[in-house]
Amino acid sequence: MKGIEQNIKKALIVLLVAFGFLAAYYCYILFFYSDRWFANSYNPRVRMDAWDPKTVPGDIKDRNGRLLASTIKERRQNPDTKQEQTYYYRSYLGGGQQAESISHVVGYNNAKYGRSGVEALQVRYLMGHNNPFFEKIYQKIFLDKEIGNTIHLTIDIDLQQYIHELLGKYKGSVVAMDGQTGEILAMVSHPSFNPNNLVEDLTGDVLVSRATEGLYIPGSIFKILVSASALENMEDVVSSNFDCQGTYRIGSQDISCYGGEAHGHVDLTKAMVVSCNGSFADIGTKLGNEKLLKTAVAFGFNQEFIFPDLKLAASRLPLKTNTSEEKLALTSIGQGDVQVTPLHIAMIASAIANDGVMMEPKLVYKVIGRTGQSQKSVKPKVYRRPMNQENAETMRTMMEDVVSQGTGKAAAIKGKQVAGKTGTAEVKTKDSEIRNNAWFIGFVPGSKSNIAVAVVIEDLPSGQTGGKVAAPLAGKILKKALDLGY
Amino acid sequence: MSNKKFEIISLTMRYWFIGLIVFISLRIFMEAFKTKQEQSYNEEGPFGHIIFFLAVFLSSAYMLLAYNNPIGFEKYTAILGLIISLGFVVQYNLFRLIFPRIDRLLLIIVDTLTIFGFIMLYRFNADLAISQIKYFLLGNAGFLFFIIFTHRIRIGEKLSYILMALACILLLLPILFGKETYGAKNWISIKGHSLQPSEFTKIILVFVFACWFRKDRKLLEHLPALVFAGIAVLLVVLQKDLGAALLYFYIFIFVYYVATSDWIITLLAGSAASLGGIISYHIFSHIRVRIEAWKNPWRDIENKGYQIAHSLIAISSGGLIGIGLGLGSPQVVPAFKTDFIFATICEEFGIITGFCIIGLYAMIVIRGVSIALKNADPYKSLLAFGATVALTLQAFTIIGGVIKMIPLTGVTMPFVSYGGSSMVASLALIGVLEGVAISAEDYEDVDNDVHEKGDQAFLEGEYE
Repeated sequence: MKGIEQNIKKALIVLLVAFGFLAAYYCYILFFYSDRWFANSYNPRVRMDAWDPKTVPGDIKDRNGRLLASTIKERRQNPDTKQEQTYYYRSYLGGGQQAESISHVVGYNNAKYGRSGVEALQVRYLMGHNNPFFEKIYQKIFLDKEIGNTIHLTIDIDLQQYIHELLGKYKGSVVAMDGQTGEILAMVSHPSFNPNNLVEDLTGDVLVSRATEGLYIPGSIFKILVSASALENMEDVVSSNFDCQGTYRIGSQDISCYGGEAHGHVDLTKAMVVSCNGSFADIGTKLGNEKLLKTAVAFGFNQEFIFPDLKLAASRLPLKTNTSEEKLALTSIGQGDVQVTPLHIAMIASAIANDGVMMEPKLVYKVIGRTGQSQKSVKPKVYRRPMNQENAETMRTMMEDVVSQGTGKAAAIKGKQVAGKTGTAEVKTKDSEIRNNAWFIGFVPGSKSNIAVAVVIEDLPSGQTGGKVAAPLAGKILKKALDLGY
Repeated sequence: MSNKKFEIISLTMRYWFIGLIVFISLRIFMEAFKTKQEQSYNEEGPFGHIIFFLAVFLSSAYMLLAYNNPIGFEKYTAILGLIISLGFVVQYNLFRLIFPRIDRLLLIIVDTLTIFGFIMLYRFNADLAISQIKYFLLGNAGFLFFIIFTHRIRIGEKLSYILMALACILLLLPILFGKETYGAKNWISIKGHSLQPSEFTKIILVFVFACWFRKDRKLLEHLPALVFAGIAVLLVVLQKDLGAALLYFYIFIFVYYVATSDWIITLLAGSAASLGGIISYHIFSHIRVRIEAWKNPWRDIENKGYQIAHSLIAISSGGLIGIGLGLGSPQVVPAFKTDFIFATICEEFGIITGFCIIGLYAMIVIRGVSIALKNADPYKSLLAFGATVALTLQAFTIIGGVIKMIPLTGVTMPFVSYGGSSMVASLALIGVLEGVAISAEDYEDVDNDVHEKGDQAFLEGEYE
């Protein structure tokens, strides 16, 4: 009997732990995910009905108050009731072709195709669900239809449209952000679609927001992380030298520099400036899997990003403690299985610009209620501190040299110091043809907002490198941003 | 425009409801940790009986629902609410007077959960609530029966064979005559009434296990009960009723380990169950679908993940204090009146309420186990413990499934979900618990009380 009593007490603990876990999980999952679940496109509670909606969704504007999306009322014949009725639909940037430039950011809210982008994720504000109790009561009593709130995005539509036109026929993505606050000034994905005219456009990958969902092989851009890890973990790395013979052999793996060029004796800065693959494969293997992975995780790799303002796919660095040296060497030059999103790379660039502090990316500038009162405004928030100030400064000088004398010369702006890094990732297509992804990330140190930019242009023929294609685009974009006062 | 009026009242009353719910829950949580002696003095607390607040909660909710129709205030609903509230007060006091040593808090918790069910079901459809009230009345008869049964009668080995046979027949019925619903064949229909035998078999399981495992025996002497446990689980697996299979397994493993401290069989049964799980994952497609939907319901939201995704969307739509009673969209969630009722409660009453409900089930654990501990008779102790495990792990399984913590297995939420079998069986298990509670101090007297011993001997067919 004594045994039973003791066993029941043990079982009591098991049962209570189970319920404690249930309660903890319930709180945890709702705290982190409930906004996203609510915003899900399949949630019928916030669907905008075309005929006689209960709530008219609010406007979306850019940071300077320029209208990006609004609800239009029109008298039309209802095909169901055969009567003239008011028809409600969303119109983007005046309803024309121009709306292509912001389609992936703003998204769409369509009776037939559901919701995406800001239209989906911020539906809580747009449909007035966040309204305080008395506001809700007021609207129910005095207004014919309830109205949602106006959202101002951090996007600058001038910069956004400039980049959109600049990219022309290229496939790819550009993200420009304020390094100090994490505010996203422009986020372009190409090819794009016209949210005003969804029917014909719903084919292929045009709907994919490359900036936040596109997982790219980073190529030499990843050397920034290897350097950061080396600065953190290897004491004499700045002064140590590497003898580059054009090809670096590790195990059964040959790693050659671009064009097979031998760079001779190079130190870390020189290796960065000429983007010497051999040096970084060597540094990476010396660092080892664990240290490299630790730095990458500190920069946000392999992490689920849960940001209130946008959805961002997780960047992947599949290194394990027992990953082979060959694979580690390949990873260190950004090939292999590393995958990043352009926005994440822009966050990494702005962390270096911002003395090693990575800010949470922000897309919602402010939310304005019916009577003009501000319901929410952007509050910069530190996401991570992946490196210390000293190392960030060292990285910055190295990246300045890349633009002033190395592979990134094309990004230089007259009279301004630009820091950057080029990258060219090789991607095998289905027909095992090798295509290039051209990368450039950079920032203007000492500019008002430490503006940082990430450019990736995909599917280029060989010979079209980051330095040739992406760097000049980045230079123009940074110049435009500076002209606009950022 | 009466619709708008209802919306405004409902929005306003959210604050009233959340206040009441939190207050009632806090009172229950505080009382749950008190010993019985303290309880009998303090049970009225500084603000009166908890049952009074429950009555207020239910009648005000029905008062609100009376506005939820196009014609304006519907007197019928409001009066019904008052009558039900009164019914609860009468029920509680009646049991309290008949059985002074009953665990009152347990009864209060059950009433609280039932009231949540009544409110939600009336909000979905008045007819559902009316049937649920009938089931509750029927359940109370069962409750009374099982209090007396547990208190008065000891099941001996011989009688337990009859119960085992009865259980097997009950479980075979749906396999032979049942119709398949939601992929499982666990219902039979008699004269238009649907019955779910696996719910009632749970009670038999609790009695049989308590009877067989109460004494220290050799392993082989336990064999009939072990074989019976295996057959019962197998039969519900054949019904494709995964939730019941899991629950039977829980009851067995908990009661068996607690009674015998036998790690070997416990681990063997555990590994057999895991093996069975892995095998059935590969054999049955519907189990694979469940697991996939659990891992990522958003990938195939229109088919496989539909249930869980819409449940999660509903829960997150409520916010802390809910959208407001009658203002949500429960119809979007599949099985909203049975398995997923937790999601719809969270939507309309808020996240805080969901948390309180999880807490209420945890308090059943505490009260149930303390009843088991207070009884010195191993048979009664195991009965109470088995009933506690059966009830609370069922709640754990369904709430865990609805919030995507564990794969979803279709079991009902005790006392809240719509359904006669579930309501009657759950109340019967509470009856078992209360029966043990009122016979807490009898055991020492057993040897001296010739009359009672004679009673037992007759029923058990043997002398202890």
